[in-house]
Amino acid sequence: MTQQVLNAIFIGSIYALFAVGYTLVFGVLDVLNLAHSAVFMLGAVITYSLVALHGLPFLPAAIIAVLVCGLLGLLIEFVALRPLRRRNAPPISALISTIGLALIFVAIVEQATPGTLFGWLWQDGANSVRFPSGAVPNPTYHLGGLTVEGVRLDILMTSVVLMLVLGYVIRFTQVGRALRAVAENRRAATLLGINVDRIFASTLFVSSALGGLAGLLFGLAASDISPYIGRDQVELKGLAVIVLGGMGSIPGAVLGGYLLGLIEVFAFVQFGSNVAAGVAFAALFLMLIVRPQGLFGARLRERL
Amino acid sequence: MRSGARGITIVLALALAACGGSSTTSGGASTSYQGKTIQLGAILSLTGAGGVYGPSSKKGMDLAVETINNSGGVNGAKLALDTRDDASDKIQSAQVAQTLIQQGNLLALLGPTLSNSAVAVHPLAESFKVPILAVSTTGIHIVPDCNFPKTDPCRYVFRDSLGEETAIPTNIKIYVAKAHPKTGVLLVANDDKFSRDGGTIVTNTVGQYGIQLLDTIAFSKLTADFATPVTKALQKNPDVIFITSLGGIPAKLMIEARNQGFKGQFLGGNGFNTAVVSKQAGAAGVGAESGSAWYLDNTFPSNAEFVHAYRNKYTSDPDQFAAQGYAAILILADAAKRANLTFNDVAGDRNRLRDAMETVNIQTPMGPFQFTSTHDVKQTVWVILMDGKGGFNLLATVSPS
Repeated sequence: MTQQVLNAIFIGSIYALFAVGYTLVFGVLDVLNLAHSAVFMLGAVITYSLVALHGLPFLPAAIIAVLVCGLLGLLIEFVALRPLRRRNAPPISALISTIGLALIFVAIVEQATPGTLFGWLWQDGANSVRFPSGAVPNPTYHLGGLTVEGVRLDILMTSVVLMLVLGYVIRFTQVGRALRAVAENRRAATLLGINVDRIFASTLFVSSALGGLAGLLFGLAASDISPYIGRDQVELKGLAVIVLGGMGSIPGAVLGGYLLGLIEVFAFVQFGSNVAAGVAFAALFLMLIVRPQGLFGARLRERL
Repeated sequence: MRSGARGITIVLALALAACGGSSTTSGGASTSYQGKTIQLGAILSLTGAGGVYGPSSKKGMDLAVETINNSGGVNGAKLALDTRDDASDKIQSAQVAQTLIQQGNLLALLGPTLSNSAVAVHPLAESFKVPILAVSTTGIHIVPDCNFPKTDPCRYVFRDSLGEETAIPTNIKIYVAKAHPKTGVLLVANDDKFSRDGGTIVTNTVGQYGIQLLDTIAFSKLTADFATPVTKALQKNPDVIFITSLGGIPAKLMIEARNQGFKGQFLGGNGFNTAVVSKQAGAAGVGAESGSAWYLDNTFPSNAEFVHAYRNKYTSDPDQFAAQGYAAILILADAAKRANLTFNDVAGDRNRLRDAMETVNIQTPMGPFQFTSTHDVKQTVWVILMDGKGGFNLLATVSPS
């Protein structure tokens, strides 16, 4: 059973890291960035490509991939969000345009085979691959009947440290204060001299970098890198996590991530897979009835 | 109205047949099709979960079409193959099939890649009376009854892919004779027909070989992290882990199980039999055993030629799915050659092709090939082991009973 708790914590960290980025954009910009799952996928794909196709060691590859994902966040902002905001389009338009970008990102990877336009990025089409063995040292520890893989420990520590750093930045720094001001009231923030567009762009950068990181950690832990890992593994679950935690709340997303990991694993152990997915979403449903604002969410403001 | 239309069709068909008869002097089986085109359609999973298999099938088919066309075609007619992706989705698969059939001029269909999609596509082909040859579907009831809603044999559905009902028990039998395992756990994806069917076959087979199935652990093919089902399986401490699943999942399960310290044997089904899975599993997969329809290093001419041509065209090794796709085109070409096609009566030509398919008897990369009376495969089973490098080694050869 303890082994299963460990399993839950590891997958929970990835859900949490993914959801933190998701919820950050929602909190600040008031739009759901549905391209986030595609950036998650690209984080894994770019790292894999740098390691397996271009011969880079894992760590620099991972750092480059995370930065590239951050830049993709800027792309999302400039292509899918800002033009619509300029036109005062309703949030649903931004939702749709990010879905469009997500589809394009997935299609680029899915269609890439050797010799094609994106052959330098990906050569395996729809196939699932994994990092070459030995790319990351992965010692296995055995502690009193428990098995812990080195990479999973790395993942846990990376996620926790990053989430703490992000929490600190948002709570205690000038940038963080600006961010919260924009989230609170865009117009008032503008009047106070905050460059709202710049805040939006940096939010997208940070959010997407975290999403990409979550993706590459997932690829590492689950030995699964394919064009579909974002769509299949985290897109809906990420939404569930941020609803559980409270839309726009970062501690909520972290707690929601671990909670979903635990619920999934225990439902699987207790009831089997038919029920597992159902239990996770039943928990979500229950939350919506009992506490619609989520664990940490502020009560929903009325919108006109 | 309806019978009137049919009457006219029959009259037309007779008239056309008469014309054909008077203009053809060569007669016999080798009617010349010079200048004609034999149009075929393939529904394959090039993307999505089945994207591990579909592209291989396509490469095999393309190679066979090219080879046949370059050596004079089928009695002079060119083969043309229209391949469409169904994204591994059952609904999309049926839509693609419908579109292909409604274009009106194709003589036969190939596919779909996944048994799950075949459930939707095969009845469609049957009702439109279009011969369809499955090239990779190995689930239960693909032939002869093509599932729903009827239980009477489908007339137009064939398959050249070795069924799991043959492959899995053969594999278990070979392994038991060698290693005498006592206990096993089954890991099965339960939201996919192919995987579920494989699980059912394992469950029904292990008893007769004295293996106690300690647990059956079902999981969704969309499971994010396979650590959970694997932990559950290892707690039972089994000698053998049976895996019936597809795509990259068997590889992920094996990696996870080895990481968690499993030292026993993996036995699987058709989901193991592709280079992609063997490569992804890597060292974790060494010795994983499955029954296969085909083996790379077989040296009989029909395989050696295929492997040679494939390596020349694609600079990589073929896998079982490529071999089955290649064989499917050979089978259709052979049937077309003997079917006395008219090329002006699609419905009639489809029937003639169907009839000729029943008597196919040719050499393929899988060995000598014939259909059984229920349109299933009659062929040798090659029991193979993953080699840890993306390939397989041959363990045993089991001839059809």
